[in-house]
Amino acid sequence: MAQRAVWLLRHEPGTALGGTVKFSRRYPTVEKRAKIFNGKSYVPVPEDGPFLKALLFQLRLLDDDKDFVERRDSCSHINKSPVYELLVGGEELWPVVAFLRDDMIYASVPLVERALSPRPSLISISGVSQGLELLFGIQDFLYSNQKNDTDLNTKLSQLPDLLLQACPLGTLLDANLQNSLTSINFSPVTQPQKQPAWKVGTYKGKPQISISITEKVKCMQYGKQDIADTWQVVGTVTCKCDLEGIMPNVTVSLNLPTNGSPLQDIIVHPCVTSLDSAILTSSSIDTMDDSAFSGPYKFPFTPPLESFNLCHYTSQVPVPPILGSYHMKEEEAQLKITVNLKLHESVKNNFEICEAHIPFYNRGPITHVEYKVSFGQLEVFREKSLLVWIIGQKFPKSMEMSLSGTLMFGVKGHNKQPFDHICIGNTAYVKLHFRISDYTLTGCYADQHSVQVFASGKAKISAYRRLISSDYFIWNSKAPAPVTYASLLP
Amino acid sequence: MGPLSREAWAQRLGAFRASPSAFLAGAEGEDLGRDLLSDLRSEKLSEQTKVSLLTLSLEYSDKLWSDAPAAEAAATSLLDTLALLPSKPSALRRLLLLAATTVLVSGGALGPTSGASCRLLPLLLGLASGRDMGRSFGTTSEQRHLQATACECLGELERCKPGLLAGSLGMLRSLLGQMGPIQPVSLLLALVLHNTLAVPSRPGPGTGLQGLLVAGVSSTGSCPWDWSLAEEWGAHLLPQARSWPTSEEEHGSPLLEPSPEEARELKAAVAQLLDTSYLLTPVAQAQLLWLLGWALRGLRGQPPVVFKPQLVRLLGTAQLTLLHSVLALKAAFGEALFTAQDEALLLRRLTLVAQHPALPSPTCLFYLHCILSFPENCPLGSEGEEAAPLLLGPQLSRGLMPSVLHDPMVLLARLHLLCLLCADAEEEEEEQVHSPQWYLQELLAGLQQRAALDGGPQALATLCFQASYLVASCLAGQPAVCTSLIHGLAQLYRARPSLAPHFVDLLDQVNPELREPLRAVLQQEVIARPGKSESLCWHLRLLAKVAEGDAQRATISFLQAAAVHCTDWGLQQALLRVCCSLLRTGGGDGLAGLLQVLARQLEDADGRDHARLYYILFSHLSSSKLGMALGPSLAAPALASSLVAENQGFASALMVQETPAPIQLSVEPQKAKGPPLVLRLQVEALEVPVYSLELRFRVAGQLYGPLEAVHIPCLRPGQPAHPLFLPLQPRRPAPARLHVQALYTTPAGLTCHAHLPPLSVKFADLFLPFPQLPKGSELCFFDDRWNSCLPKGVESRMWCPLGPQGLEALVSQHLEPFVVVAQPPTTYLIAVQLPPDSMLLLRLEKAQADGVPVALRTDNWAVLPLAGDFLRSLAAH
Repeated sequence: MAQRAVWLLRHEPGTALGGTVKFSRRYPTVEKRAKIFNGKSYVPVPEDGPFLKALLFQLRLLDDDKDFVERRDSCSHINKSPVYELLVGGEELWPVVAFLRDDMIYASVPLVERALSPRPSLISISGVSQGLELLFGIQDFLYSNQKNDTDLNTKLSQLPDLLLQACPLGTLLDANLQNSLTSINFSPVTQPQKQPAWKVGTYKGKPQISISITEKVKCMQYGKQDIADTWQVVGTVTCKCDLEGIMPNVTVSLNLPTNGSPLQDIIVHPCVTSLDSAILTSSSIDTMDDSAFSGPYKFPFTPPLESFNLCHYTSQVPVPPILGSYHMKEEEAQLKITVNLKLHESVKNNFEICEAHIPFYNRGPITHVEYKVSFGQLEVFREKSLLVWIIGQKFPKSMEMSLSGTLMFGVKGHNKQPFDHICIGNTAYVKLHFRISDYTLTGCYADQHSVQVFASGKAKISAYRRLISSDYFIWNSKAPAPVTYASLLP
Repeated sequence: MGPLSREAWAQRLGAFRASPSAFLAGAEGEDLGRDLLSDLRSEKLSEQTKVSLLTLSLEYSDKLWSDAPAAEAAATSLLDTLALLPSKPSALRRLLLLAATTVLVSGGALGPTSGASCRLLPLLLGLASGRDMGRSFGTTSEQRHLQATACECLGELERCKPGLLAGSLGMLRSLLGQMGPIQPVSLLLALVLHNTLAVPSRPGPGTGLQGLLVAGVSSTGSCPWDWSLAEEWGAHLLPQARSWPTSEEEHGSPLLEPSPEEARELKAAVAQLLDTSYLLTPVAQAQLLWLLGWALRGLRGQPPVVFKPQLVRLLGTAQLTLLHSVLALKAAFGEALFTAQDEALLLRRLTLVAQHPALPSPTCLFYLHCILSFPENCPLGSEGEEAAPLLLGPQLSRGLMPSVLHDPMVLLARLHLLCLLCADAEEEEEEQVHSPQWYLQELLAGLQQRAALDGGPQALATLCFQASYLVASCLAGQPAVCTSLIHGLAQLYRARPSLAPHFVDLLDQVNPELREPLRAVLQQEVIARPGKSESLCWHLRLLAKVAEGDAQRATISFLQAAAVHCTDWGLQQALLRVCCSLLRTGGGDGLAGLLQVLARQLEDADGRDHARLYYILFSHLSSSKLGMALGPSLAAPALASSLVAENQGFASALMVQETPAPIQLSVEPQKAKGPPLVLRLQVEALEVPVYSLELRFRVAGQLYGPLEAVHIPCLRPGQPAHPLFLPLQPRRPAPARLHVQALYTTPAGLTCHAHLPPLSVKFADLFLPFPQLPKGSELCFFDDRWNSCLPKGVESRMWCPLGPQGLEALVSQHLEPFVVVAQPPTTYLIAVQLPPDSMLLLRLEKAQADGVPVALRTDNWAVLPLAGDFLRSLAAH
């Protein structure tokens, strides 16, 4: 279950080494156990420099990516999981858990408590999930409330102390590094009984609970006969409970209106104490029928002190909020486009922001554009080969709007327009960005009156909702578009 | 030298971290450990600097104090420093405890003879149990802080010496109910319990499980820590989270059967731990479940229902480690804990989270791996192999299908699942639209399309080939899939020949069922191209891999056309490599002509020489020898002249090597039959098979006429010895030594020769009988011969001693075929023909008990001494 070493590497393209080691920690007691368990197949944890080079190479982050290199590009070196084998100093280091997020590489080497050859299956190595959890914890800590780079550097400098607290001897004790930070500075006079390990200290003050539901809607609209449009809502319920007492009990209910779409695929935070079996079994894998459970969804839990994600869910709403169509045709040297957008009548017509981004890949910069919009404004970014249709805060009374235009492009430049392997030929998309506050597509809401709090004092309960678009694409119906399996089902 | 300043230390530590091995090898390396320990006590350094010193020693204790004595000294020093700390709260206390633990373990100094261990253990146990350790360990509140650290240190000691804390089970159990941090104690108790249960029997009174669990803090007689147990389990560490399948590891741990009281106590302890597990952090809960689950697995009569309440809570979790530990419990207990419905529900939940959009990609990929390695209650396939679980049908896996929009890792993982589903699917479904097989073809076509884009990144091409390899491996038994894959790849090559290295690699890696058809199709694809093109280098590179000797004239024509356009050295070498491939695999019509043309017309002198060499080899060596000679050789450095590089390779292959003889040749007892004289030999192979064996014989001097070589096509060890007949033409009747040389071919194709030990041809081997005489005329015949010997010949008399067996036996043993007249038991008349044209006549008459007088006559006086020796030797047998 333990980790032999942990690293945080920053990918810096264009520099000599390709990256730097921002943080590393080794655990000699775990390494000693590794030597005994792995026996002849033992490979020591390498030093930082060689490790950085080997991992950057394996993740294809070194700049010399042009030629075929057997070690990395051979068809039999298939990586199907975030666990890699690195060639360092002539030896194969495995398993190395690693992933890249926002130019930062998180990596660790978990202990395998047996010989490494033949390779044991990943599911049987407990250190893999513990290692991933630690790396996610570091990532959350670094990026959760980060505003700028100096913030990041401060947090990086706190990492060694935090890891001493959360993982002193190689076995992870708590993946929530913010908690560790709090506990370093916190010295309770008395340690109350039954204090949970995931709660440092207690709250003193006015009791209040805030529940916020954020729904993200993804969509792929094709505008074709034989390919079905797909869309999905992914919801997250975040809570912050400021309540006195060591283990206050709270129950939050999520309700749906009469014609709301049932919540499915519900996964909950560990602090939830029990789950209704109807919630457990409601999933998007099953075909929808009218007897599907549609709430209220009760979640009894004992909250931690910080803000946390109570649950995630998905839902299959009957229609996507904004329906659209996109036609793009190449006529001689010109490109003719038409975009139509229509807001569904059931959707609240009040946006914080609503825009349509229309990119043109694998072409040069825009040299000439003529357009007509029935609503909103069009911004042209010539160098980036991008049009942004700013719709504003409301759709017009007719709920529909359209854009038509003609464009011409210059010669393709070197690095301004990156290569896109999806949008080749006339395959193209319009991507919508919008936010509606105080609204959810499923209709889901947290009933403030049905929140039960078993703690002293009457808590003030506030609830928030909002809908955000995530990957919302409308594809050019005049050209082939990438489809997912779900689109092809009859 | 006084202690270094803060900046100096910062610099020194920084240099160390940059490259520890280089630093330790350098001048300052030796002193680092010593300075570090001593400066910890210095009053001049700030606490912050000391913290950084201790942090370094925590991380690199195995490099700084790598052997037991150094570790022992370092740990002692750290414990002394701890004792010297002033009683106000200090961040150093915790770090010193951690450092002392780490140093002892990593240096291998932990043991009953280590003074530091014997100081550290009671200190840790005291702190862990919440006892007041006195003012020197800080205020009471600080000691409570240290309680958690002490438990963590003890845990690490227990992990490295399993069984060390078995005697503390009771104390730990009683701590659970008291005040203080619950997580450190729970984890430590679970760990010690797991280790205690993992090894069944222990000697000694009062050490039964019940005793251990119930004993209070101060138990009489039993020490809280026990070196003997730890030593007994020796160097065998216990996996805390046992990995499955564990067939090799389980053989040593028989099922433990606790007594009813023990079982009751155990159940209570486990239940207590599980009931308060919600107070632990999620990762700690997962560890607890894993430890307890696999601890109870080995016990008889302990139904795992105690875990059920936890499972209900955990099935809905979003947390990775918790769900992983549920799977671990499934693997440990199977049907005992999970009914068939539970298994179905767990699989559905796993499928759900593997595609959940709210979870990060690495988590989803791990879950997908778990689906393919799902620990089923009744597995059909062999353990350890990835397979789609039985319950996972197309309906359930709909959301797990790959698409080109996914990033490469997700695409490959999901593609693997799709392939496994296709492999399981029925044949009739194949051609249905929207079936998994159809979708697979669409996906591959999409990937090939993207790989064909000019200017696309290497990663896209690699992805396409990895996907092709994956499909080929999983679906080798489905010809429709393989055929369409091959066609797609051929089209891909047509569109983008610069992917040739990928094709070569794919041909090397892929299974034979696909390799052969793919090779053939690609060969067709290449030679259908015009000879002149910018992609000629790629065409030649691929052709070197796919060209086969029995190719049609089309390949040769292509090469002839291409030769004109091979203007630079690189292209010429590529062309010659294709020729080499053709030579190796059989030749082909027109290859000789092509090589002659190249030997004359290539621009580069090196190339011309190369072509000429190939031509010579082609015309002189048999095809199998050629294949072996041109095969890949070990010595092939990158030299300027490619000819030299190749030379080194097959020079050794073509040379005849001298080796010790792998065969044995011996002379068989001769059964003389009549002229001509034939020597009977037998030969057998000793260890390895020998082919095309040629034996050459030579006799020193001119004693015999020239001997012909003997050829044997094949000799295998273990077969009965092969008889050989060697005609001899002696010029004089005299014994001789035959020198033998063997020339043969080894199974590897090398030609070798060896000298065999010489063979002796004895005088007796030369004897031939006279032709069969008509009955009655023998005596007359003999007398005629007898009289004809003199006066030219010679006569002699001698006494031939007889052994115990008597004259009759002697004659029948050695002289049987030559007896002309016999009047047993006393008189024998013997006539021997000696090639080329001599004879030897013997009269053995009036035999007595111990000997027989022999009269000899021969017409060749040189035979006489030989005959005498022969007769004397007879009796000696």
